[in-house]
Amino acid sequence: MKQISSLNAALNEAGDISRFTGRFLSHWFKPRYEVAEFFRQCFIIGYKSLPLVGLTGFIMGLVLTMQLRPSMVDYGVESQLPAIVSIALIREIGPVITALIFAGKIGSSIGAELGSMRVTEQIDAMEVSGTNPFKYLVVTRVFAATCMLPVLVMLSDAIALYGCYLGVNIRGDTSFNLFWTQVFDNLAFYDVLPAFVKTFFFGFAVGIIGCYKGYNSRKGTEGVGRSANSAVVVSSIIIFVLDLLAVQITDLLGFY
Amino acid sequence: MIKQNANNIKLGIFVLAGLIFLILILYMIGRNRNLFGSNFILKVEFENVQGLKAGNNVRYAGIDVGTVKRINLINDTVTEVIMTIGDKAKTIIRKNAIASIATDGLVGNKVVNITSAKQASALAEDGDVLRSKKPLDTDDMLRTLSRTNNDVAFIAENLKTTVSRLNNSTALWNILNDKALPHNLQLSAYHIRLATAKANSIVNDLYAIVSNVKNGGGSLGAILTDTAFAYNLNMAVTKIETVSDHADTLSLQLSHLVTGIQSDVNHGSGIVNALLKDSGMVIKLNESLDNVQKGTDGFNQNMEALKHNFLFRGYFRKIESKKKQEGKQVTTAR
Amino acid sequence: MATAESILFKEHTENQGAPVMSICHLYKSFEDNHVLTDFNLELFKGENMVVLGKSGSGKSVLIKCIIGLLRADEGTIKVFGENIPDLNDEELDKIRTKIGFLFQSNALYDSMTVRQNLEFPLRRHWIKVSQQEVDAMVTNALNDVGLIHTIDMMPEELSGGMRKRIALARTLILKPEIILYDEPTTGLDPVTGREIIRLMVEIKKKYNTSSLIISHDMNCVRMASDRIVVLLDGICYANGNYEELTNNQDPKVKQFFE
Repeated sequence: MKQISSLNAALNEAGDISRFTGRFLSHWFKPRYEVAEFFRQCFIIGYKSLPLVGLTGFIMGLVLTMQLRPSMVDYGVESQLPAIVSIALIREIGPVITALIFAGKIGSSIGAELGSMRVTEQIDAMEVSGTNPFKYLVVTRVFAATCMLPVLVMLSDAIALYGCYLGVNIRGDTSFNLFWTQVFDNLAFYDVLPAFVKTFFFGFAVGIIGCYKGYNSRKGTEGVGRSANSAVVVSSIIIFVLDLLAVQITDLLGFY
Repeated sequence: MIKQNANNIKLGIFVLAGLIFLILILYMIGRNRNLFGSNFILKVEFENVQGLKAGNNVRYAGIDVGTVKRINLINDTVTEVIMTIGDKAKTIIRKNAIASIATDGLVGNKVVNITSAKQASALAEDGDVLRSKKPLDTDDMLRTLSRTNNDVAFIAENLKTTVSRLNNSTALWNILNDKALPHNLQLSAYHIRLATAKANSIVNDLYAIVSNVKNGGGSLGAILTDTAFAYNLNMAVTKIETVSDHADTLSLQLSHLVTGIQSDVNHGSGIVNALLKDSGMVIKLNESLDNVQKGTDGFNQNMEALKHNFLFRGYFRKIESKKKQEGKQVTTAR
Repeated sequence: MATAESILFKEHTENQGAPVMSICHLYKSFEDNHVLTDFNLELFKGENMVVLGKSGSGKSVLIKCIIGLLRADEGTIKVFGENIPDLNDEELDKIRTKIGFLFQSNALYDSMTVRQNLEFPLRRHWIKVSQQEVDAMVTNALNDVGLIHTIDMMPEELSGGMRKRIALARTLILKPEIILYDEPTTGLDPVTGREIIRLMVEIKKKYNTSSLIISHDMNCVRMASDRIVVLLDGICYANGNYEELTNNQDPKVKQFFE
């Protein structure tokens, strides 16, 4: 009985999220556009996340290189280290790790911000004062998250590759020129483009879940906390599910 | 308001940096795939493309000059490979160049190698069809190898009997017991040295073969899929082993012989003298060693052919290490 | 008595013309909890009406239905001749510019300064106003509530009474014709509460607005009300001015005036 009701709740929530997404799309197309607020959110969501994302990206590139080195040496293909790390970074680790960090930072902050605005009736106040709070708060944030995550992932990839370069040079001597050639000789369009496209969906998922959770927050401090928390949890799960879908679709389309 | 402007500038830099990196990646990949810049098409026809795929590299003198664009099946025996070649190679590749399919590294991607022919010819133009070279057939190679091994085994067997007969012959010992002349001994020693040098060169040849095989790569797929081949391979290895066993015995006996001679010489008895007088015998020994070398040369050629075959690597390494060990033993014995 | 009352009513009707807001047969329930059942109310121009009721009697639900934050189950809410439940979002936004709403929790945007808080509704509605006009309107509204010096402060730096007045200024900046007050004195000390009530009365006189005040604070009821509606069990249980209701002998009405 309990399982059935929790299943019901989960399905109910999935339905609500879909409806919320539909509402986002319809508001997104219709004027008026909150351009200034959109850019402000881009700054907050994108630019302000760069140090965190850059740091994790750098460490990821460095650590991955150092961790892979022993096995690569065993197989006698140490020279392929830049190639294998760059492919792993650009295809999978860059987008997913960055999206997860992004979910942790942006998903929770959107969830908490909109949640507390809901709880203190600021959202109602906007609505009453003739502002469409959905457009002003939700559409700008979701769209900003959708646009900013790909940029963040690109920069994170670049920084991670630099980390990889340093990692290769800890116990070896590879000139930057050689590293560069090795990386780009082994990358193909089908490594970069699907990874780039899926980051839009990751960003959208983080934005829409954060906004949904915050916008429908329950009253009280606990409600806000729960919104922030479940925004991160749900968007992280969705990122993985989307990643699975993405790899299957690219596989079906023959990009491998 | 000023702060807002500053923020917008930061945001702009941020977004631009991301986009520039994306474009850079795409551009670099595109450049590697010859998508930008002008290029021309060359064609080549093969019987068997051995798993070559669109996108594989095309090399001229070991340098990447283009990629495989498409592979078309023309009919039941001919496959056409269409290659995109960068304009830089346009002034190098000639009409009579030969294309072959090879493997990049041990288990790497397939590549098309274009090699120049020795004869002069006009430069290749867009759409030209190059000549193709049939890739090496490992099956053929192994069949020859097997036959050569048999020959080597036969020779070694004969040599062994000869030596043992030599060893057991009382007549010979009688001859050896004859009184000796010292300068004849010296002459014989010179002959023996010649023979040893020959033996040495044989060993060197063998060593060269071993190192060639060690450095070579090859077509793993072809070997693994053919069971008949595996059987042949097994046989060949067994035979090689037998040969080396025999060689062991042979060298042991040779060594005994030499020790015998030495002791005779030391004791001042006349055996060596007699032997050394008999230059006909030495010549015979030389001849038989020549024969061995001929056999080994044949073996060498086959081994050369096999040098791409990595499966033999382990075996030859074993042989090599055994040899080293023996060498060590000899040194310590001395 | 009855005749006197009806005459009083008649005078009202004649003086004020058609009501600016009329609510007929309003029903609203949350699942099994029937909050409003057949509620009727009329608000005239320039009138301060207090809706009096216990906590949980549905006062807040009533004004949220009026402003369109909640959708009524049944019945009509006519504001300036438009039925609120029938309107789409755009029409609703348009009618909302004529209705001010003062939240119980003030609902100031805590990430913005006082100035931005006040500019926010302006920016929404009249895109084409110049910066000078906006500044003038902000200054004007702040002067009305006597807090011009707080213009560049953040809401969290202000006291409860000041926040309430800023919220009132934000409500006033659109020059609404109807102001809905949701428990304006709750959470304030009696002195500050009285200041707010005085301000409300002043504003009504100055701009000739109609107000609907939700309250259970008798000070507020006595000082601000032209007319009082007692909301009980989901209906308009009693109505009249302060004196009439103090003299009402019904125990359910009397409990408020003791």
